[in-house]
Amino acid sequence: MESWEILLQQVINGVSLGAMYALLALGFTMVYGIIELINFAHFNIFMVGSFIAMWVMQLMGFTGQSHVLYGLPLTAMLVFVLCVTMVATGVLGALIERFGLRALRGVSGTAPMITTIGLSYILFNVILLGAGADTKNYSNPMPNIRWEFGDAVLHLRELILWGVSLVLMLALHYFVRRTKMGKAMQATAQDQEAARMVGVDVDRVVIITFFIGSALAGAAGVIFGLYYNYTNFGIGYTAGLRAFTAAVLGGIGNIPGAMLGGVLIGLIESLGGQYLAVRWTDVIIFSILVLVLVFRPTGLLGRAAPTKS
Amino acid sequence: MTETQLQPSETAAPPAMGRETSFIPAIWNRATGIAGRRGFLIAFLVIGALLPLIDRNEGDIDAGANALAYAILALGLNIVVGFAGLLDLGYAAFFAIGAYAYGIFSSYQVQPEWWGFWEPFQWLGLVQHMTSPDGPGTVHFTVSFWLMLPISALIAAFFGVLFGAPTLRLKGDYLAIVTLGFGEIVPIVARNVPYLTNGAAGLNGVASPTLFGYSFGVQSLPFYYLGLALAGLLILISLRLKNSRIGRAWLAIREDEIAAEAMGVNRVKLKLLAFGIGAGFAGTTGTFYVAKLQTAAPEMFMFPVSVMLIVMIVLGGMGSVAGVVLGALILQLLQSVILQDMTQWVHAFGELTGIEFFKQLDLVQSIELIFGIILVVMMRFRRQGLVPERAAVTALTHAQQTAVPTRGAVAGGLAPLHRRPIDANKPLLEIRGLSKSFGGIKAVRDFSLDVMPGSIVGIIGPNGSGKTTFFNLITGLTKPDGGKVLLAGEDVTGLLPHVIVERGIARTFQNLRLFANMTLLENVLVGTHTRTTTGAIGAVLRPPRVRREEGAANERVLETLRIFGNRLMPRVQHLARTLSYANRRRLEIARALVSEPVLILLDEPTAGMNPTETLELTDQIQHLKDRGVTVLMIEHKLAVVNQIADKVVVLDHGEKIAEGTPKEVHSNKEVLRAYLGRSTDAVAEAAAAS
Repeated sequence: MESWEILLQQVINGVSLGAMYALLALGFTMVYGIIELINFAHFNIFMVGSFIAMWVMQLMGFTGQSHVLYGLPLTAMLVFVLCVTMVATGVLGALIERFGLRALRGVSGTAPMITTIGLSYILFNVILLGAGADTKNYSNPMPNIRWEFGDAVLHLRELILWGVSLVLMLALHYFVRRTKMGKAMQATAQDQEAARMVGVDVDRVVIITFFIGSALAGAAGVIFGLYYNYTNFGIGYTAGLRAFTAAVLGGIGNIPGAMLGGVLIGLIESLGGQYLAVRWTDVIIFSILVLVLVFRPTGLLGRAAPTKS
Repeated sequence: MTETQLQPSETAAPPAMGRETSFIPAIWNRATGIAGRRGFLIAFLVIGALLPLIDRNEGDIDAGANALAYAILALGLNIVVGFAGLLDLGYAAFFAIGAYAYGIFSSYQVQPEWWGFWEPFQWLGLVQHMTSPDGPGTVHFTVSFWLMLPISALIAAFFGVLFGAPTLRLKGDYLAIVTLGFGEIVPIVARNVPYLTNGAAGLNGVASPTLFGYSFGVQSLPFYYLGLALAGLLILISLRLKNSRIGRAWLAIREDEIAAEAMGVNRVKLKLLAFGIGAGFAGTTGTFYVAKLQTAAPEMFMFPVSVMLIVMIVLGGMGSVAGVVLGALILQLLQSVILQDMTQWVHAFGELTGIEFFKQLDLVQSIELIFGIILVVMMRFRRQGLVPERAAVTALTHAQQTAVPTRGAVAGGLAPLHRRPIDANKPLLEIRGLSKSFGGIKAVRDFSLDVMPGSIVGIIGPNGSGKTTFFNLITGLTKPDGGKVLLAGEDVTGLLPHVIVERGIARTFQNLRLFANMTLLENVLVGTHTRTTTGAIGAVLRPPRVRREEGAANERVLETLRIFGNRLMPRVQHLARTLSYANRRRLEIARALVSEPVLILLDEPTAGMNPTETLELTDQIQHLKDRGVTVLMIEHKLAVVNQIADKVVVLDHGEKIAEGTPKEVHSNKEVLRAYLGRSTDAVAEAAAAS
């Protein structure tokens, strides 16, 4: 492979990873924007999402690589799997908010975050004990259509995943900017008390935020499975941390920032793995996290520094 | 005991009670508190020492030694999370650092070539010369376990400070995530530098400790007793730190970082200290643990270990030393005894009934699920843990609750409130052209003011006119855009809040920033932070000097609280959050006063007080002036200002619109317009009408 081909290939890989991290980062950033809480449960909602999609596909009869679909059936099937998964993880996130976190809202100190760690642990272990520790093969219904640029390869699969992420992000952007609920969210993020006073149902805003963030995490879970063709109980931790770094890099609380940060982290992961060493990837990513927090805590696009207490 | 029960003393009638008797519960509580702490440590050591005599099972003793190791780790993490309120999710990294430090310096892993440099180390017994027939031979590290115990603590503490430093400016949540990142990086590094650590395979052949020629080998009993001794030592250190100047500063940071800073606590230094000491505990434990296992692998130090320690702390009670030890022991017992026994019962049940599910079920595997459930349930239903940090306080007696409020004053016996000589003819505080904007809003504009020593200056002005911002600028909580603040001729502009307290400016807050979960006594003791010197080592060793300082600080705090008669005295062991609103204001003033200020800034001291209470406080502020403290106060009640202020300054839209005696200011047209919101004509009419 020529060097430009390697670079191109790693950019393709990086954007694919980035699309997934961006979706995952959105959940962190939205919840943080609204109630200033780092939601560790988000890590494993993502993981649960990848399992739900796998089970849905298995129920539909897709196992292994046997069924390859084209055109409309493929689109319909992907949309169906995505919708079911997103609704399921969205409901899971909303339940977590309602029964796990609402009682602790406004409690200062470490208690809310510790609760999210506990919730994350519960999700993780329920899947581990229920589905087993082995890595599961994901079915891949997408045809192996590929475009070659020299030795660099772009698969249809990757294009589809980029498209899915893009559509979801645009939909979210529209929702937050244009709808009444989206405006209520922005108001709540700015000042919860003031929003309450002008008639915003803050509890509803928060639970919907959790629903949307978790639904996007579910979509990221589907993308993970389709991209890597496997899933297991442990995928949430690494991906979650990277996505969180993406959210911080872009500017926590900032939705376009999360998208940008996600793609950047994806590129850093793939290019860093190529040109430095895969085994140091996490060290690089965490170093970025620390450097950003120290030197530019507002992130690339954020405005408010995360120092207020 | 409910909050309402604590409050009614404000108004009620006899029987009166003397100041002296109100003292007794405080002292009694203190005495039992100390006895209780010692009692816990002694009970822990005695029971721990006797256990192996009762249960001679090698496996149980081994589990016991491990449990003690985790108890020490939890104690260390408790200093960071429980005392200082900093959620550290990568604590296992320091455990790893201590483990590898000993592992590398006592095994054959690293074998540099022998040359003259190593001779002195050989003489000291730290290395051995491994001769080789063809060449100079190699170095074998043989650093003693006993030497490495403290050295590992120092190495880990160094990394604790290093990892902690970049995160200290950030909000707590970010700290959690950054520590999580460091917690990931350390095992990755351990895996990726096989030269030092033998990579994923793990270090092998770590030397076992020897004591007077007796090698511990792989027996559990000596490790058990060593663990017990270490745990006892670290319990003692934790307890002594907690009940010291350092511990109170940590709790203050945990409760309210800004207030802690404004009371003179250097939060950066103290947070780093917490990180360092916490990491030091882990470093020592790492050495202990590795010496016991004689191997160290990256998997032993991953995220689940950090979470398990958090679970121990949450279960036992954050900040509670006894609770944390108990939490660690319960979880270890659960893991290595209870769940295993239960699994056997379930298997037996499965054999009996022939149900396959029960034959296969392994409850030990569900330990992490149990951890998750413990975290969620405890946070939801019992946040203070099984053994709360604070024992319940004796409720006030009926007599105390219904006592006539005695009106204290700044007593003659009160130690001088400030120590430095002040030139009475020069302004104590000079403000020159101070400005501050927030975005487009100019909160304070080109503000200048002289405050003469020994005077009371009142600042009035409509809400939002920049009064509190002005206070924040003086006390360093907000950095000015321009202008200067001089205290007794020295430039204090833009200094850090704790430095400004040290220079002699103390303040109260309009919105009350007490340390809610600390007692009254502790709240005020935090105020003495800048006037006391005990460091971490002094707090642990408690030499006579420290005891004297602690005694003197207590004395001064009680003296200061007596300013408010029997309003606060009977409640000194109560938590600040149980106080009535007026008493909270008094407590804030007391907390500011013990820092021995030359200038005290009171932000609406009488807000929320009834007329009688207001009069009482007005008197007390007047007494402060008589004792030589200069007072700058923001106050909305004009009656108060008129009565005691030597000078009144009026702010409107960030600008000074008038300055002078109360009388002069009240006849100022500009003031009437801005402050009273009426035209001067209307006022003139009103005046004419009356």
